[in-house]
Amino acid sequence: MNGSLLEKLGWTKYIGKETGKYTGEPVQARDVRRYALAIDDPNPIYTDPVAARRSRHVGTVAPLFYVTWAVGVPGAEKSAKELGEDGLATFVGIPEIPNVWDLGWVRGGEELEFFQRVHVNDEVTVKGRIVDMKEKDGKSGKLVFVTSELVYTNQKGELLATHRLTMIGTPRKEAGHA
Amino acid sequence: MRSQVCYEDVKEGEEIPPLTKEVSTVHILMYVASVWLMDRIHFDHPFATKRRGLPGVVAPGNMGGDYYAQLLSEYAGEGGQVRKMSFQFRSFMLADDVLTVGGKVVKKYVSEGKGLVELELWIKNQHGVNCVPGKGVVALPMQAQT
Repeated sequence: MNGSLLEKLGWTKYIGKETGKYTGEPVQARDVRRYALAIDDPNPIYTDPVAARRSRHVGTVAPLFYVTWAVGVPGAEKSAKELGEDGLATFVGIPEIPNVWDLGWVRGGEELEFFQRVHVNDEVTVKGRIVDMKEKDGKSGKLVFVTSELVYTNQKGELLATHRLTMIGTPRKEAGHA
Repeated sequence: MRSQVCYEDVKEGEEIPPLTKEVSTVHILMYVASVWLMDRIHFDHPFATKRRGLPGVVAPGNMGGDYYAQLLSEYAGEGGQVRKMSFQFRSFMLADDVLTVGGKVVKKYVSEGKGLVELELWIKNQHGVNCVPGKGVVALPMQAQT
């Protein structure tokens, strides 16, 4: 094979790179309700504060995986023209790497550990770090694996969840995004 | 509401009650709109097929995380907790797929007074392809505590 793609990109020095803390706007009841409809999860604790309290929560909670969206995707909050033709955006909590869009990216895998629920009106903070980079020879060329660890906390400083996300990059030809 | 499953009730090797998810273009649109995910392969059919060579618009892989969260939350019940889950994206979940979201107990053990159950998870489409294989850990209440 013709040498390391990671070395050519000059990325390995970014292993261990951290982001600052980023705090989202308060979690909206309407967003949570619509999200629960999108995933067809009928549990009333996502829509009804009385049902949530009956079920040991202090108020309406978000579906468990919503923690990964609770800070928002400010990178995607652009006009349609500015978004670019594929609509791809960087996520807060994933440290920036130079020339990241030289590759096309798909989600590889995720690993989560849950500690506390996200409630409506919570302000969720994320902080991220690149924990690993690898490369492999795939069927149609090199594949780059970038794993970041994102840590989510609430306004009281309580740990909500840890989230390891592995993105797979391929030299741009047929980029997609899962 | 299902009755609460306790740690003692669980047998290694048994399957847990599955979910069926019909993921339509409307579900996908609701999802990407609610979180502002503007990736065109999720809603623009000509872009997804002609530009990206996909068989159609694809569901965000993230929705698999939500399906597993629901599966494990319903299994753990109000008295249990979902502790961990992990999954890998192997095949796209396409619009109009009918997905079976299921799991099997691989191991149970008590740790620090908690009854923990490890599961192997799958999201199979109507062709039997496991699109998002995964694993999960839930804590279940012990009979004495309920």
